[in-house]
Amino acid sequence: MTFVQKTYLHYQLLALTGEVDLHNSPQVRKQLLAIVGSGNSVIVDFSELSYIDSSGIATLVEAYNLAKNKQLSLTIVGARGAPLQVMELTHLNKVFPMIETLDEIKG
Amino acid sequence: MLTVFKAKIEHLGGVGINIVESSGRLGLFLFNTLSRLWMYRFPLEETIKQLLFIGAKTVPLILISGLFTGMVVALQFYDTLIRFGSVDLLGAAVAMSLIRELGPVMAALMVIARVGSAACAEIGIMRNEQQFDALDCMAIDSYHYVMLPRLIAAIISVPLLTAMFDTFGIGGGYIVGVLIHGVSDGAYLVGMADTIIWNDVWMGIVKSFLFGLVIMCVCLAKGFNLHIEQKQSGAVGVSQATTQAVVLSAVLMLFVDYIVSSLML
Amino acid sequence: MTSSDKSIIEVNDLVTHYGDRKILKDLNFSVEKGEIRVIMGGSGSGKSTLLNHMLALLTPTSGSIVIDGVDVVNANRKTLLKLRQKMGVAFQGGALFSSMTVGENIKLPLQHHTKLDEHTIDIMTRLKLELMNLAGYEDLMPSELSGGMLKRAGLARAVIMDPKLLFFDEPSAGLDPVTAVELDELILKLRDAMNMTIIVVTHELESAFKIADKITVLFDGEIAITGTVDEIKNSKDVRIQNMINRRARDEHLDAEQYIKRLTTGKN
Repeated sequence: MTFVQKTYLHYQLLALTGEVDLHNSPQVRKQLLAIVGSGNSVIVDFSELSYIDSSGIATLVEAYNLAKNKQLSLTIVGARGAPLQVMELTHLNKVFPMIETLDEIKG
Repeated sequence: MLTVFKAKIEHLGGVGINIVESSGRLGLFLFNTLSRLWMYRFPLEETIKQLLFIGAKTVPLILISGLFTGMVVALQFYDTLIRFGSVDLLGAAVAMSLIRELGPVMAALMVIARVGSAACAEIGIMRNEQQFDALDCMAIDSYHYVMLPRLIAAIISVPLLTAMFDTFGIGGGYIVGVLIHGVSDGAYLVGMADTIIWNDVWMGIVKSFLFGLVIMCVCLAKGFNLHIEQKQSGAVGVSQATTQAVVLSAVLMLFVDYIVSSLML
Repeated sequence: MTSSDKSIIEVNDLVTHYGDRKILKDLNFSVEKGEIRVIMGGSGSGKSTLLNHMLALLTPTSGSIVIDGVDVVNANRKTLLKLRQKMGVAFQGGALFSSMTVGENIKLPLQHHTKLDEHTIDIMTRLKLELMNLAGYEDLMPSELSGGMLKRAGLARAVIMDPKLLFFDEPSAGLDPVTAVELDELILKLRDAMNMTIIVVTHELESAFKIADKITVLFDGEIAITGTVDEIKNSKDVRIQNMINRRARDEHLDAEQYIKRLTTGKN
């Protein structure tokens, strides 16, 4: 699993590649909490993500909650396959703003 | 006629084999549990929880039984000593009996009654409900997570409880001897201090340490091996195992008592 | 028995004994990754024994059991430990620890095997509780739960680490029909969303036909058939037809022997 952080408009974009599981989700957590903690809204890019387990989902929930409390946003873009199924299984697809492509966010 | 005789021998043989197998299982259990001390980190949190159940909650019982034992011992000795005119030796007599013998044995019996039976039943029920199977499947070591904390807590608690028993007993003897029968309090206390030697106290400590080990080991093992040793599982099996555990730990405790006494006296 | 790259469980020539009695007699079968396999059989057929051997709780007399590439019979402690973290087991009565709350029970594997942050662990626990319709029951003790709730809590604990393999011992036993159906749906959802391979040991026909990709039927310690639901339904084996149609075993009545048994109590 690797991740890349970029700036997109006024958001921080975190692109996840590969699989997020018990072993590497703490790294993602640290990164996400840092981004939101320093006052940025974040977009998490799922397009290169092939698998995410409950620890990864829990990390997203925690970051989402922190963002909400700080009047910031956490959006998920490009979810498909297994990660999308997990979002549906946990009903989180009805909680997180989910978009198909970055184009849906204009400046 | 010969077949009846043969059947009896077979039965006895079977009992003998059972005893050997049981002892083997008990030994293996002890070894497995103790080996977790160097295999994994020390289970501090769990041990402290068990110290609360085993040690702290037994104190009231120890207080009462220690007090009454001391009082009765003092009464008996008073009656004897007064005939020889040696009533000043009461403190020493009460203290020596308690510290060397009665304290460790009585405290151990109280622990068997309160802690031993409960521990065996708890572990037996866990076995019945497949909780040890669940631990195995979760790759959590039962010996390390469940047994070792209880064993260590027993080894720490029982000597401490014995010391408390001795203290309350000597106090009880004081009440009977000095306060009720008017023995000189100086004679009671100083006589005691003059007569008791380090070896007496050391004997009490060694005994209570071993008693704690024996009691907890037997009670835990009986519960843990419920599915192998008892003919019936379920509630009946648990009660059978608990009864056997209480009886066996009491008998073994007295046996160890004799061995230590003969080695150290 | 062909070894397939897709099979995650392979049982070969498995023979087990209980004392002197032979329980499982030369069992051979394999389970593919992502499959839901139901193991069925009457009481005494050996299905619980088979489950216990697959979980490495018992050692067989002979034969091999290979799970995710690991020979569970001969594996050393460390290898078995790593494999077990990828396996979840839901026991019949839940097998929860009575001294801890439901939440603490479910968290236990995470606390022992991972270094995840407490917040993450808490949210993961609640996610699983929500999935099992047990939201809000986190702080209750097991003694305060009904039988069905205990099973679901046990299942939550079994899947807390998102295992590759899930073993389910008698999921429907003791449940009312509605809860049983909900549990069936849950099993299907888990396989689809988490790509779990699920082994269910049961005797409930309806559940089996609903969820199984394949069913392995045991009679007297031997495999009668391993097949899809349709193959089972169309089987010519009398025992299987009896089982499906819930017919009692056909007993030929010998009038003389019957009267003798009734009047003298001897066979």
